[in-house]
Amino acid sequence: MAEAATSPLGLALGYFLRMHSVRIGLGVLALFVLVAIYAPFLASETAIVWRDADGVSFPLFAELFNRRSYPQRHDLLFNLLVFLAPALAIAWWALRRRWRPWRRVLWSLAIVTVAWIACQVPMLPSGGSWQAVWNDRPSPEETVRRHRAFAADDAPGAVFALVPHRYDAPYQGAILRRPGTVNESSGRAFLLGSDAVGFDVFARMVFGARISLTIGLVATGLSLLIGTIIGALSGYLGGWVDIVLQRLVEIMMCFPTFILVLTVIAMTSRSIFIIMIVLGLTGWAGTARLVRGEFLSQSVREYVTAAHALGLPQWRIMFRHILPNSLSPLLISATFGVAGSIFTESGLAFLGLGDPNAPSWGLLLNQGRENIAYSWLIYIPGLAVFALLTALNQIGNGLREALDPKSQR
Amino acid sequence: MLAYLLRRLLWMVPTFLGILVINFGVLRLQGPTLSEEMDKSIRNDGARNADLVATGVENYLGRFRSTGLDLPALVNLRGFTDIDDVVALLRATERGPAVLEHERNRAEKDLWLMGRLLVEPLAAIVADDALAELHGPASMALSLCAYYPLNPEDLGRLTPEQQRQRQTRNHALKGLRIEYANTREAGFATTDPDAAGKRAAIAAFWQANREDFARDGATAWRALVVETGFCDFMRKLFTGTLYSHQRKQWVFSLIADRWHVTFWLNFASIAIAWCISIPLGIRSARRLGTFEDAATTNVLFLLWSVPSFFVGTLFLHHLCTDTSTGKAWFPNRGMSSEGALWLSTPRYLLDLLWHAFLPLVTLCYASFTSLSRYMRADILEQLRSDYVRTARAKGCAEDRVVYHHALRNSMVTMITLGSGLLAELFGGFVFVEYIFSIPGLGSLLLDAARSNDAPLVMGSTVVSVGLLLIGILIADVLYAVADPRIRSRYG
Repeated sequence: MAEAATSPLGLALGYFLRMHSVRIGLGVLALFVLVAIYAPFLASETAIVWRDADGVSFPLFAELFNRRSYPQRHDLLFNLLVFLAPALAIAWWALRRRWRPWRRVLWSLAIVTVAWIACQVPMLPSGGSWQAVWNDRPSPEETVRRHRAFAADDAPGAVFALVPHRYDAPYQGAILRRPGTVNESSGRAFLLGSDAVGFDVFARMVFGARISLTIGLVATGLSLLIGTIIGALSGYLGGWVDIVLQRLVEIMMCFPTFILVLTVIAMTSRSIFIIMIVLGLTGWAGTARLVRGEFLSQSVREYVTAAHALGLPQWRIMFRHILPNSLSPLLISATFGVAGSIFTESGLAFLGLGDPNAPSWGLLLNQGRENIAYSWLIYIPGLAVFALLTALNQIGNGLREALDPKSQR
Repeated sequence: MLAYLLRRLLWMVPTFLGILVINFGVLRLQGPTLSEEMDKSIRNDGARNADLVATGVENYLGRFRSTGLDLPALVNLRGFTDIDDVVALLRATERGPAVLEHERNRAEKDLWLMGRLLVEPLAAIVADDALAELHGPASMALSLCAYYPLNPEDLGRLTPEQQRQRQTRNHALKGLRIEYANTREAGFATTDPDAAGKRAAIAAFWQANREDFARDGATAWRALVVETGFCDFMRKLFTGTLYSHQRKQWVFSLIADRWHVTFWLNFASIAIAWCISIPLGIRSARRLGTFEDAATTNVLFLLWSVPSFFVGTLFLHHLCTDTSTGKAWFPNRGMSSEGALWLSTPRYLLDLLWHAFLPLVTLCYASFTSLSRYMRADILEQLRSDYVRTARAKGCAEDRVVYHHALRNSMVTMITLGSGLLAELFGGFVFVEYIFSIPGLGSLLLDAARSNDAPLVMGSTVVSVGLLLIGILIADVLYAVADPRIRSRYG
């Protein structure tokens, strides 16, 4: 830490991490990420450990990579992270003295990925394909019948998730139950109540965190990519390219983003994937403007002239020399962008335009609006969105204060 | 001043056109949903009785022809297809060993949507004895390509005489279909006993309607650009003839009833946001570093992170609903009480305010943060500048320095920022109108989006963007008023 603190980045990082708001924000964000990753262990009908006459089995682990139990793609990714995240943390810790942060990230990722693939190889059926590994697990219906019996006398040693309720199908007859009331079909309580269809609110919330985080990251990643390329071309090349691209940016800025997203969703299908892509394709104008300004001011510096004199190709100067020097505004806008995408996604779901199959927080809040007397349907999802947005905004604000040379420290 | 405004207006034209182009692109995204419906209606009758299929298709053709979705998006080359091309198109619909079922269906559907420019080659094929095996599908395609139902958009453009003529034409088309079997073994073999009579009828039909469907070079070239989805959309937009088939109403008459609610809500909320956040920003800046400054900044920052739909729902729950614990302080729907029109003017206004209060709060609280932050930063910058030091040295009172000298200069920055923020804040009205059931543009847009009503979505989006551009224009006017440099530069 001592030698890192001398670099401007280290100074900024130290300053960033010392802010209380940032610490709280990072803590809340970490909590949401952990909840999202370990969602199956918080709310799932399948037993984690099952002990009966046949011996001990782990039905939930067997189910994690089954497409029939987790039909949404992003669920598979998060289920992968169930194992990858601790492995990454260990690799990061093991490499702690070696390299600079980004190199550590890359190496940890590489190590863990190789280890993961090595673990998978014995599972490949001879002459089979990955598709077979994905789909031909023991049938989930079989697992359901065997391991979802809640009656304790079947298997006295079974360990269940925190709330042994499913998120993807409603409980018949359990409509608008108060938090803490018992669900007859499982014998366990609805921790946060149930909604107007009969879904367990806790299970929906936990799996909703996955959706919010996925949307935020993917949509912002896409819009950053587009915005950076357009802004870089516009600021560096100048001339007519700049004029044309600036008109485009101005049009996108004038178009109220939310209305554009609403229109596109209305005309296409309502799936999480489409919403992510649309959010990414519509939200790049601000980033493009930022990057353009940064490129305009950087491209007259000496190091760019030096790179020119060395005869480097244009794209190399743009993306290897100027871009790393203008990363800080990009990083700040990315943090706010994630918050914006999460807001838009839950807003769309609130308006009834989200993916009807996805357990989004906005969908729950919409139920709260339709059943206005039931306050837990309003407070629980609303406060979750608020907490996540606040955490992200505080982190973004901290980044701005730490990285912006103009702000007073 | 006038020159400046004209300049700003002219700059808006390409922006508005660009927005229309994006809108059109979005409209074209919608194609598949309608086609799937059509596919289903075609597939549903297994017998493939030509008349039944045609009736199913005709129902959808009406909607397609009305939305312009049957036309190619930007370039229409249909006027240049010769007989060989059309024969190839017909062959693609033949059931053969190598042809997949869904590809065949798609080829069939594409052919039937081609429209009036294909009638001439199709009629030529039916008249040609050498192409006897294609007479069945060609007659079917002809009867659908020539079929133009009387959509409400057309009623205004055609005289009663022309309307009657078109109706008889559409009716005559039903007798022209030569029954054919589309099987692997027999190909397009004609099964109709009266094939010769129908061929004669097609020839007669072609002679009678020659001027409607004939295409010389000029027609083909004109169709190249004019008969495209884009031109059709633009024409309907600018002549105000977008028609919502689901609601059986003109889009712009639906909007005309509602746009003003949205307009007033938005502009009132923006005005309120300014009136509150500017004093807040000034106050913060003058007490830089005190507890009050820090508290205001932090509270506003937290407020900024509260999603507006959450706030609106909370208001609805706590202030507008009779629950066991509380009573309803505010109305929970609409912009006026029942029978409000019979109230006296002051009471009517009071009623309006009562209804509009919570929606306005929900709309404007989020913009306090950014506006007051910018205001604070800008006032701080102005207070550090030379002219403020001069003013203070002259012996001006501090209030005069802040409100007369610094504020005036910050307003210029604020207006620039304000017009930039407008687009970001705009769109919140959809939530507010949904939560409080206000019959405005937002709830219209939402209903249209939920029911996939393309023309209505397009119309209300364009009008909302138009409102936004009006807002930006107002900001430009204010900018010119606030900044004397503009006035002096443009005379």
